[in-house]
Amino acid sequence: MNDPLFTALFEVLRYENVLASFIGVIFGLFIGMMPGLTISLGMVLLLPLTYKLSAISSVCLLLGLYASGMTGGSFSAILINIPGTPSASATALDGHAMAQKGRAGEALGIAVTSSFFGGIFGLACLWLAAPIIARVALNFGAVELFAIVLLGLTLICSFGQESNIKGLLSGILGLIIMTVGLDPMMGTPRFTFNSVELQAGISFLPAMIGLFAVPQIIRGLSGKSTVIPKYDEKVSGVLPKLRNLVKLVKSMLIGSLVGTGVGAIPGTGGPIAVFLAYDYARKSSKSGHNFGKGEPEGIAAPEAANNAVAGGALIPMLTLGIPGDPITAILLGALLIHGLIPGPLLFSQNAHFVYAVFWAYLVANIMNLAVSFSTIKLWVRVLKVPERILIPIIVVVCIVGTYGLRNTFFDTAIMLAFGILAYLMNKYGFPVVPMLLAIILGPSLESNLRMSLVLSEGDWTVFFRHPISLGFILLSLVSFFGPLILPAIRSRLRKTCEENTP
Amino acid sequence: MKRVNILIAVVLLIFAGYYAWLTTALPTRNLPNTMGIDFFPWVLCTLMTGLSLLLLLKSLFFGTSEKCAYRFEWIEIKEILLFLILTDAYIQTMDFIGFLIATPVYLAILMIGSGSRRWKEIALISVLTSIGIYLFFDKIFQVILPSGKLL
Repeated sequence: MNDPLFTALFEVLRYENVLASFIGVIFGLFIGMMPGLTISLGMVLLLPLTYKLSAISSVCLLLGLYASGMTGGSFSAILINIPGTPSASATALDGHAMAQKGRAGEALGIAVTSSFFGGIFGLACLWLAAPIIARVALNFGAVELFAIVLLGLTLICSFGQESNIKGLLSGILGLIIMTVGLDPMMGTPRFTFNSVELQAGISFLPAMIGLFAVPQIIRGLSGKSTVIPKYDEKVSGVLPKLRNLVKLVKSMLIGSLVGTGVGAIPGTGGPIAVFLAYDYARKSSKSGHNFGKGEPEGIAAPEAANNAVAGGALIPMLTLGIPGDPITAILLGALLIHGLIPGPLLFSQNAHFVYAVFWAYLVANIMNLAVSFSTIKLWVRVLKVPERILIPIIVVVCIVGTYGLRNTFFDTAIMLAFGILAYLMNKYGFPVVPMLLAIILGPSLESNLRMSLVLSEGDWTVFFRHPISLGFILLSLVSFFGPLILPAIRSRLRKTCEENTP
Repeated sequence: MKRVNILIAVVLLIFAGYYAWLTTALPTRNLPNTMGIDFFPWVLCTLMTGLSLLLLLKSLFFGTSEKCAYRFEWIEIKEILLFLILTDAYIQTMDFIGFLIATPVYLAILMIGSGSRRWKEIALISVLTSIGIYLFFDKIFQVILPSGKLL
């Protein structure tokens, strides 16, 4: 019974960890279903509490929120046609159509069951793939680690942004911010302006809270919050019938496969996965023509996909230390708080903790299923809580949360500064996720780069002599320059085609 | 749109220049075969300048296809400033009157500011939330919140 697999299970099943998972699930359902509040916001609000919890309790809390937040997003999508999270956008298409036909209960039941299916599928993939990838990555040195971090950063900065240059600039700004503080190798102060507080560097926790919470707070306080339309509060027939579920297995499987695959690619995330899953399910379904008109398969596929994304996104985060989306980035931050550095070494040095993450995610999914089904009628009413009450409470929680980190309001000021910066960035089309990733990965990028150069005695060709590093650097270059060059090539090709068309 | 991007690029170029100036002031103490502490900042400075120039040239010669709400209204600036001033006042007064008195007042002002006009609801929620947050952070998580110098 000294096997880390079982000791981790017993650890996760301790009452405080089950309680943490339960609280995470409740909070996640609430945050997920409230339009305007995102899972990332929920995570950053809970993050200060993880300082006081054990690493495993923190993971239980945050994974509970992650799993249920995705499900919660579908509740508002189905009931009021406003997705609680971007990942629930595709669910609204058929979910709300079903609700309008008086089948809201059935739609909610399918959403919860499919979420569970997707979550478990994603976890199975994580469980199978992660140890293999970690074993390969165990042979990586500073050179390869630098190349991996570089690839992760360039992927997030380049893809999925409206303006690729702005995505890259956001990442560079994040890296610049992380140069404040003591130099990681020599311990010499850099850009500290003789401030004692700045010598410790910019703590990423207030930065995270600022980047994700403050823009939403400002929007909410300036009266730009979402207006909840009237909806039917009475739902019935929530528990799906087995024969109906069997018909949905194919769509759930498609959704789960797409979700896990897309989730594992850094920089993609839930919204892309759900629409891909929806499209594949529509094309492969006999009732594809009914999609958009209230087809249960149109809920099963995207709901399975958005929960499977979590399992997929955890693969690069745990094995390589590269978060695929803002949620896993915040999760990575929570692990760093406890001195746990995700990457291949985590598997060899802290196998017990890695298994605990797997078990915690399983418990979170089971808890999500149980809590969602048993309290669905209550959640339907929670949507009525107005933002004018929620937003001020969030403001105080953010202030107290950042104050509690070091019992100083310096961190609160940092949070507000990042918040204003994020608000301006959102306003002018700069994505904040690359900045967040850069803030988290920046120190690792710099230390591995400088460490590699020390080991190679200043020889820059070291990055091109190691085949794995060379591969990652080439991929980084493609992801860095590709989005800058591709639009020009595409427009040139289009012009040529138009000229040659008679 | 195009003008805003040009302006942003110029601001970023000025920032890159300022960052470069700060980098030149860094100590050059170094170990053999290692890059100095100014090495990484110079890399970032170069990338920042290059990308800002790219944004400037792209905006000048190719325009942009971005569809964002770029217009900044004065009322918005006023609201942000008001929020910051209010939050600063809350933090400053918390040291004197303590969390349990400052927070209900701050919460009530924020609720009124965001459109709430039900006075009983405002009073009840601001007081209960403050007590709830205090108990949660101070008693359960042992985050010592300011009790005030007056009390």
